[in-house]
Amino acid sequence: MEKHLLTLIFLLLLVDVINNLVRLWKNTKLLRNFGSLLGWLTFISFLGLMSFRIIAAHRAPFANMYEFTLLFTGFILIISIILRRTLLSPLFDLAVTLLLLVLLAVTSTISADLQPLMPALQSNWLHIHVATAIIAYGAFAAAFCLGIVYLAKSPDSTHELQQIDQRIYRLVVLGFTFLTFVIITGAIWAEQAWGNWWSWDPKETWSLITWIVYAVYLHARSSRQWKGRKTIWIVVIGFLVVLFTLFGVSILLPGLHSYA
Amino acid sequence: MKKLDRQRRVDLVSLLSNMKTAIDLLIIVGVISALGTFIPQGQTPDFYLSQYGTWIGKGILLGSLNSLYQSWWYQILIGLLCLSLSVCCYRRLRHARSIKKAASLSFHLAIVIILAGAAWSLGYARSVAVEINAGDKINLANYGFSPSELGLKQFTIDYYPDYQPRQYRSQLQLQGYQGHDYTREISVNHPLQAGILKIYQRSWGWTLKLSDQSGEKVTPLRIKDHDAILLDKAQGLYLQAIFIPDYDPLAGIESKTPLPNNPRLILALVKDDQVQNMAIVPVGNKAQLARYCFRFDGYSYYSGLEIKSDPGVYLVYTGFVFLLIGLIARYWQLFFIRKVD
Repeated sequence: MEKHLLTLIFLLLLVDVINNLVRLWKNTKLLRNFGSLLGWLTFISFLGLMSFRIIAAHRAPFANMYEFTLLFTGFILIISIILRRTLLSPLFDLAVTLLLLVLLAVTSTISADLQPLMPALQSNWLHIHVATAIIAYGAFAAAFCLGIVYLAKSPDSTHELQQIDQRIYRLVVLGFTFLTFVIITGAIWAEQAWGNWWSWDPKETWSLITWIVYAVYLHARSSRQWKGRKTIWIVVIGFLVVLFTLFGVSILLPGLHSYA
Repeated sequence: MKKLDRQRRVDLVSLLSNMKTAIDLLIIVGVISALGTFIPQGQTPDFYLSQYGTWIGKGILLGSLNSLYQSWWYQILIGLLCLSLSVCCYRRLRHARSIKKAASLSFHLAIVIILAGAAWSLGYARSVAVEINAGDKINLANYGFSPSELGLKQFTIDYYPDYQPRQYRSQLQLQGYQGHDYTREISVNHPLQAGILKIYQRSWGWTLKLSDQSGEKVTPLRIKDHDAILLDKAQGLYLQAIFIPDYDPLAGIESKTPLPNNPRLILALVKDDQVQNMAIVPVGNKAQLARYCFRFDGYSYYSGLEIKSDPGVYLVYTGFVFLLIGLIARYWQLFFIRKVD
């Protein structure tokens, strides 16, 4: 059932991508509503998928890379549904659905085996640490998609650009706050489990690098020396760092987070 | 000359107090930290010479890139970042009249506190790994801690139905630590805490009890699973022991389950990495290996513990609190009050 639901979500997203491509050419109300309907159907299917996973595993789906990527995808979906209500941009919808499609394709290559929790993961910190990471990375993903819209817009549409810039800023602040929580909860948990709050493990080092990139964005924006496109590029680079932290580090740089 | 020195000092302070300097330092720390994740850390010098070739390998060793995060130059960089943030905070102290500015100050000061805590840990944290058999006791004074006696009453492993480990548990007794006694069960994620002393569950293994009956005198021996002990230095002869908790003749030396349902001990005489003689014996039986004779008397778990005292960690946690308070106070308006940048 889990596999069938994953295929259904994949197909719904594919239809949504095609719908959004058509909307780039002709953005009618009917197509926009159809896109919203597809978004809700994807979300309901996703809830079904996670429910099956929870019932089968007898635990919260926070234990491995497969489950994390699914939750990450689900949270981006939630943010995009919220943003779609007020942001009438087919390009944003296309960017989000494409990103979701890629993330889902990556998820399908990761082992979905139901593994019991190893001793190091048996901690309440697991839920807080993973939940905050999903919110942080989800907010950065949405900021990235908005960044694509910003960069694609004509520099003349000043008012629209300002609105998008403000949304990106809020999403980055949300992501940065939660990323700080991720790093702190991870440090406290590591101290409880391994006796060291910081071990320069590749995953934690890259989380710190992600934090630094977004800290630079916040300073660049608040100091007013950098404006507009320059700061948006930091958001784009930041999300590439997020993706590397999530997938690149797990594949290329083994460490203490070998299960993630 | 004095005027010139003063001018230089003023320039240095103004450079350090500039937030741009702190940001530049933060970017440099980020880039260098990333470099450290691509170069394997803490390996032997031979590893770098063989993996990267002589020139690059020597360069890595010369620049301490093999232990990058502990290198003097990396720590100077962190120290400079800390100094720059401190000067920035000090210069902004008098302007911190609004909540937003005070929050920002708290946030940046928190980073300084965290780094100070890390430095304190680096200088004063003490950590020792020990392996204790069930029923044994050790004196912590021998490991540089306050005099007290640490004993392991029992070590157990919980398994899932498919024999994957669920949890490792050690029943510990700590007596006379700064005038207090502690009896606790520790497991992974649940260390024993006594003041600033913490005892963590780190590893486990089997201790094998043998009797050397080769001569007239019977000598008791203890050997860890997979370890080897030197029997004859002149001949370079070792005795190696491998424990099979659940022996199955069809599975060979692979244990059927991790539980000691049918324990056997493989004893081997090894010379120049070559097995000379080998025997598989159950508990209570003897193994005759050339001129040596050993009896397998029994087995028990040992628990691998990490004993640690780290005063810096509390400063780090204080920094975490300041960091979160500062962050929330600085940005909460963005989400709860409209039209505020």
